[in-house]
Amino acid sequence: MNKKKILLLLFILVALAQLFVPAKMILDREDVLATGKEYKFNVEPVDPSDPFRGKYITLRFKDTRFNNQTDQKWTRGETAFVFFKLDANGFAIIDSVSREKPLNTTDYLKTKIRYNNKVKFLFDRFYMEESKAYKAEMLYKESRRDTSKVTYALVNIKNGKAVLKNVLINGVSIKELVEKQQEIEFQK
Amino acid sequence: MSILKNIAELVRENVISQETADKIKNYYNTSEKQTTNKLFVVFGVLGATLVGLGLILIIAHNWDDLSRVTKTIFAFIPLLIGQIMSGYSLIKKPKSAAWIESSAAFLFFAIGLSIALVGQIYNIPGSFNTFMVAWMLLSIPLVYILKSQVVSVFYIVGITYYAVDLNYLTFSRFNKSNSIIYWLLLVLILPNYYLLYKNKPKSNFMVLHNWLLPISIIITLATLMKDHAILIFVAYFSLYGLFYLIGSSDFFKHQKLRNNSYKILGSLGTVILLIAFSFNGFWKELQKENLIFSEVLKSPEFLVTTLITLLGIVLLYFQVKNKSIKEIKPIAPTFLLFILIFIIGLKFAIAVILINILVFSVGLLTIKEGAKQNHLGILNYGLLIITAMIVSRFFDTKLSFVFRGILFILVGVGFFITNYWMLKKRKVNE
Repeated sequence: MNKKKILLLLFILVALAQLFVPAKMILDREDVLATGKEYKFNVEPVDPSDPFRGKYITLRFKDTRFNNQTDQKWTRGETAFVFFKLDANGFAIIDSVSREKPLNTTDYLKTKIRYNNKVKFLFDRFYMEESKAYKAEMLYKESRRDTSKVTYALVNIKNGKAVLKNVLINGVSIKELVEKQQEIEFQK
Repeated sequence: MSILKNIAELVRENVISQETADKIKNYYNTSEKQTTNKLFVVFGVLGATLVGLGLILIIAHNWDDLSRVTKTIFAFIPLLIGQIMSGYSLIKKPKSAAWIESSAAFLFFAIGLSIALVGQIYNIPGSFNTFMVAWMLLSIPLVYILKSQVVSVFYIVGITYYAVDLNYLTFSRFNKSNSIIYWLLLVLILPNYYLLYKNKPKSNFMVLHNWLLPISIIITLATLMKDHAILIFVAYFSLYGLFYLIGSSDFFKHQKLRNNSYKILGSLGTVILLIAFSFNGFWKELQKENLIFSEVLKSPEFLVTTLITLLGIVLLYFQVKNKSIKEIKPIAPTFLLFILIFIIGLKFAIAVILINILVFSVGLLTIKEGAKQNHLGILNYGLLIITAMIVSRFFDTKLSFVFRGILFILVGVGFFITNYWMLKKRKVNE
């Protein structure tokens, strides 16, 4: 093979790698969405932005503390496998946390320990259209005054991976709520 | 070109032969072509970059109304376009810098765009830093396969931004600075730098790399600070010394000063640090510092300081071994003297006086150097060093106002006399 052919071959390999990385990201998430178990998490949203991916709302999860049932102390940054159960209202709360990867179930989340028996939930970014993210946060603040309203994140979990699907206030998608409000503002 | 108009006249008057006239015409024709080629490269790359950045901004809008499938397709279209264009350039136009550089520049942004868009569609939390690393790793093969220098430049800027974001912009009191990935990524680009130096030492891309790489290192060296942060100052001193010596090497010696990035950065860096350390504060801190020798030896700051210093010593040795001591430029050995003063400063307060003597001597020797070379720039640079030092002492000494006033007048008069003397000397020579 001459030099040009080798270069071309290498280029094709690199191009495939460039396609493979996003494709793999997509396939992994699609699998979790299709076959993972759905959970609702109680959250509080705030609104920052990322230079390349745009506006998002950051979710602050309400229940990240767990009871340490083992003798060993957890250290910060340690990998942990988290199992969930549902509370009386159907929201996910931590059932138990383990150091070993479970073999008999796919229904667990792999994550890191934050500190003092608290875990990190890494699915804490919900991307929104740039005009909507700030309004979504405002809507949440309004909803907080009304204690009957709950804000929660809809997350699919499978084999340690989690995909954040939606953020809802009382069962209505936060995107729809913002759109409705924008329509009302527009009519005024 | 005006010279071409005159050629006919010169031939008519028998000043030059027809043959010479043709040669001259040929020369100007080819050099004109090269300039247009350069313009094509510049505009091609600029266009590709703007389109790429524009696409990234458009996707950052987060189009809610589009379905997941549509968005996913949009993630791949620019990537495929970039790959097809780059593939075409590689097969059909491997010699055309304009084709290669523009298509590679576009592909570079398309890679970042596709990962960013997928991350956005699926709300993947992955931090900005992991995103940057993935982007840079997927892009760097383009530097070697397509031989794209533009991607190399973007890559250096990208990894530097990554290190800055990770260490200086993201506040995290838990994981202290962590730049090992940056240094590994930096090593990946060095072979290209070497190839560029071998194959196109005079190119604009070489000049650009000569500026960007040392600046990137200057910015990120401080990320190595761990528990012995004070040592990083020594590392910086040695780094500037090393840069200065690289700038005085045979390769750079005959280049224009504005292209000699290493010399400018090394010299300015050394002088600025010297002035900064001529204040007493640093030395007071240093004496309070309780350095335990065995722990210092194990620290990353010490390792890196030693490495840079050794490199500097080797270069210094090769540059001065055939010269008399008078030919050595004053900035060149400063980093070694600083280390000496630093060690003295660990125990004794006299260090601050020594460093002031050092600044003063560097200033004086620079003035002397300027006079010897008959170079007004160097002469005034030396005067500026001394002025800066005296202005600094204005703030932290308890000398009386009268004395400080006299000092200022003396330096001012010094400026007049030296410059006047030099200009007069030039006139006599003419």
